[in-house]
Amino acid sequence: MKMMNGNEAVARGAFEAGVKVASGFPGTPSTEVMDYTKHRYSDIYCEWSTNEKVGLEVAIGASFAGYRSFAVMKTVGLHVAADALGGAAGSQINGGLVLVVGDDVGRIAGDDYNDVRHYGNMFNIPVLEPADSQEAKDMMIKAFEISEEYTTPVILKITSVICKTTSAVAIDENYTYQVKCRNKYKISFSKVIMTTMMMNAKGSEHPKLTKCFNDFPAHMKRLAADCNEFDINKLELNGKKIGVVTAGTPYFYTKEVLPDASILKVGMVMPLPEKLIRELAEHVDQLYVIEDGHDLMEKNIKDLGVSVIGKALFPKFPEMTRFTPDIIEEKLIPNAPKREVVDGIPFRLPVTCAGCSHLFISEILRKHKIKTAADVTCGLIGCFPHMETYSLQKCMGSSIALAHGYNVATDHKENFVAMIGDGGFWATGINGLMNLIFNDSQSTTIIVDNSCLAMTGGQHIASSDFGFNYKPENKLEIAKVCEAIGVKDIVTVDAYEFEELEKAILNAVNSNTNSVVIVQKPCVTRFKLPKSDAYSINQDLCTQCRKCINIGCLAIESKKGKDGKVEIVINEDLCVGCGLCSTACKFEAIKS
Amino acid sequence: MQDTGKNIIIAGVGGQGILLFSNLLSKYYMKLGYELKISDVIGLGQRGGGVESHFRYSTKPVLSPFIKAGDVDYLLSFEQTETLRYLHCMKEDGIVFSSTFELSTSSVNTRLEKDMPESKTEIIKRSGNKTFIIDPDENKSSDFDISKMMNIVMLAIYSEFRGYPHEEMIQIVKESVPEKFVVGNLKAYEKGISIARAKLA
Ligand SMILES: Cc1ncc(C[n+]2csc(CCOP(=O)(O)OP(=O)(O)O)c2C)c(N)n1
Ligand code: SF4
Ligand code: SF4
Ligand code: SF4
Repeated sequence: MKMMNGNEAVARGAFEAGVKVASGFPGTPSTEVMDYTKHRYSDIYCEWSTNEKVGLEVAIGASFAGYRSFAVMKTVGLHVAADALGGAAGSQINGGLVLVVGDDVGRIAGDDYNDVRHYGNMFNIPVLEPADSQEAKDMMIKAFEISEEYTTPVILKITSVICKTTSAVAIDENYTYQVKCRNKYKISFSKVIMTTMMMNAKGSEHPKLTKCFNDFPAHMKRLAADCNEFDINKLELNGKKIGVVTAGTPYFYTKEVLPDASILKVGMVMPLPEKLIRELAEHVDQLYVIEDGHDLMEKNIKDLGVSVIGKALFPKFPEMTRFTPDIIEEKLIPNAPKREVVDGIPFRLPVTCAGCSHLFISEILRKHKIKTAADVTCGLIGCFPHMETYSLQKCMGSSIALAHGYNVATDHKENFVAMIGDGGFWATGINGLMNLIFNDSQSTTIIVDNSCLAMTGGQHIASSDFGFNYKPENKLEIAKVCEAIGVKDIVTVDAYEFEELEKAILNAVNSNTNSVVIVQKPCVTRFKLPKSDAYSINQDLCTQCRKCINIGCLAIESKKGKDGKVEIVINEDLCVGCGLCSTACKFEAIKS
Repeated sequence: MQDTGKNIIIAGVGGQGILLFSNLLSKYYMKLGYELKISDVIGLGQRGGGVESHFRYSTKPVLSPFIKAGDVDYLLSFEQTETLRYLHCMKEDGIVFSSTFELSTSSVNTRLEKDMPESKTEIIKRSGNKTFIIDPDENKSSDFDISKMMNIVMLAIYSEFRGYPHEEMIQIVKESVPEKFVVGNLKAYEKGISIARAKLA
């Protein structure tokens, strides 16, 4: 037995399944699946790819070569990779192909209220959902078996709860790694190619046509029938009053609150075990479905003609973001005690680390009222109302194209600027830059070169000086690539050179050509940059104008002093001495 | 009577070493042969956000990774605004350990929200639960940085309170923290014991 969190357990499962290739793109909560795979199991080839679509395509290629492969990403990332998944779904699979997808159930990591199981419905592929670390390991292995047996990609849905919950996992200490390889098919084409062929094949048994065809509807039918016997789908017949169909951690909430209920715990949430559902429905007076995320199992059960209560009793977002034992108790246990949270506790908006380069950029943009689109980066904290730097923000890699769109619509009268992280730039932002060049746009792009994907914990990217497969000669230089793409005006500045940075941004914004400002400073937190002496505020000079607070630095606080009077103070434990706040104070109250 | 298990919430803000704390504690309970589930829900903890760890040990298999409101035996909190968020989760005879440390929230700093008019420490004391308030400022030491090692101080306080053998806890700390931090951690642990003994006297 070993204590493991869900991410660790999935990595162990990959190892025991004999996986050869792991690829993907970081995203909370599932990033550490890759970290554990890389650091514990050196037999497995690992890469962080430039984005999720590339990552999945790498895994698909490896699978066609016959080797078990997985791609890891968060649900938002699968939106990027969806086209690649559509290509693989229904096609011939050699080595098992698994997508490990982190679903931000409960919006714990701050994501949209998404649900990865939609991809199971849309592409007609199986989705497995573990409820604890042991199941995470076991289902990872099962996912590869299903993938090969039913010739389909399989999604292993792990959630922000599973990923961060630690529990015991049975480990065979004597297991020795054995790579699995299976070459069943010589070709594997997308459904589009295949079905075109099939239409022509009607009436023709020519082997050139039939060898291309993979009868995917038949495979899925067989899976739907077989899954009633899968041991990951467990029917626990108990009391006759309440029956619950549930999956993932809600299974445990249900067991704890309703110990007498009859429960169908589905480990494979797509397709559903129809026979078991009917058996449970017949056994109980009232059937409920308790599922996190969208009402997908509910709809699928209702499609079978079985009546079940789900969101009518448990309204979904925004009423609730995820199930808790408390919610089940409140709705299904008569006279459950009501407990009220203490009133008026202030909430915590996310704050940027002290000394972060994003704060320098944000300060200059705000000072000069430069309208800017933010990307998905640590810098997006500048969208929140305690900073109010940015006016537009959408998905990862989008800011360059967003700004370009704004500029063409407004005939380039205002230069609407794009701010993007280096990771977002390589992921998909670079397409936005190429696009604006050949469409003759004059936009300005600020690329925040902090040498990593900071927001997800500092993973390497194409322009990092480190990485799983890093070699100095393969490092991509942002400036050189921008030049090659055709950007007219490129400057590189150190974030802490405030005046130079200010000049560079203003020059770029005011010039009438397309431009890129590359702002360099390694991520303070990821690379543990050395601290300088802390700054402090002279209370005699401070007028409480609060300008320094709007910088957004974690170290600057507004606090009641000993005499009960509010003071603006610098937390010396947090301050790294970057000096940005002293630039912002007009009253010279902040000194080192 | 044998301890059949407890539900503990460990709370605080990013950077306070809460994950290390729950890791150390889990090693102790594992040695005793308990079943465990520990859920570390970190929002944007890295940047001063709230951190919340649900820690359950039991002689029977632990089901839900989250503790239902009303089922918490111990709340160990490193930041007092965070303490407030879990007071309603306590059992009637549940016990609160709370540091008076406070990291102001960005929403109050920027006046998006008013701070609570009343002293947070007083609200905690009034909660109806038995409370232990620990003031890091009163317990500053030149031997270690209490702002960084409150987790070890808290571990000692909790162990003393539960009557756990300190040698075993210290051994776990020694095995788990990097060599160069061991001395400072042990000083912090000793401090915790003396704080707890003074409170319990
Ligand atoms: C499509 C997609 N994939 C992954 C993520 C998770 N994610 C959020 S921020 C981030 C890293 C951003 O890195 P970078 O662009 O370099 O900005 P930084 O945080 O370093 O400033 C990632 C991978 C996401 N939000 N969307
Ligand atoms: S993690 Fe790095 S990039 Fe992100 S806010 Fe902190 S210092 Fe800035
Ligand atoms: S900017 Fe200067 S004067 Fe204004 S609140 Fe901050 S320290 Fe005080
Ligand atoms: S010098 Fe000012 S801006 Fe820089 S870290 Fe310290 S408090 Fe924050």
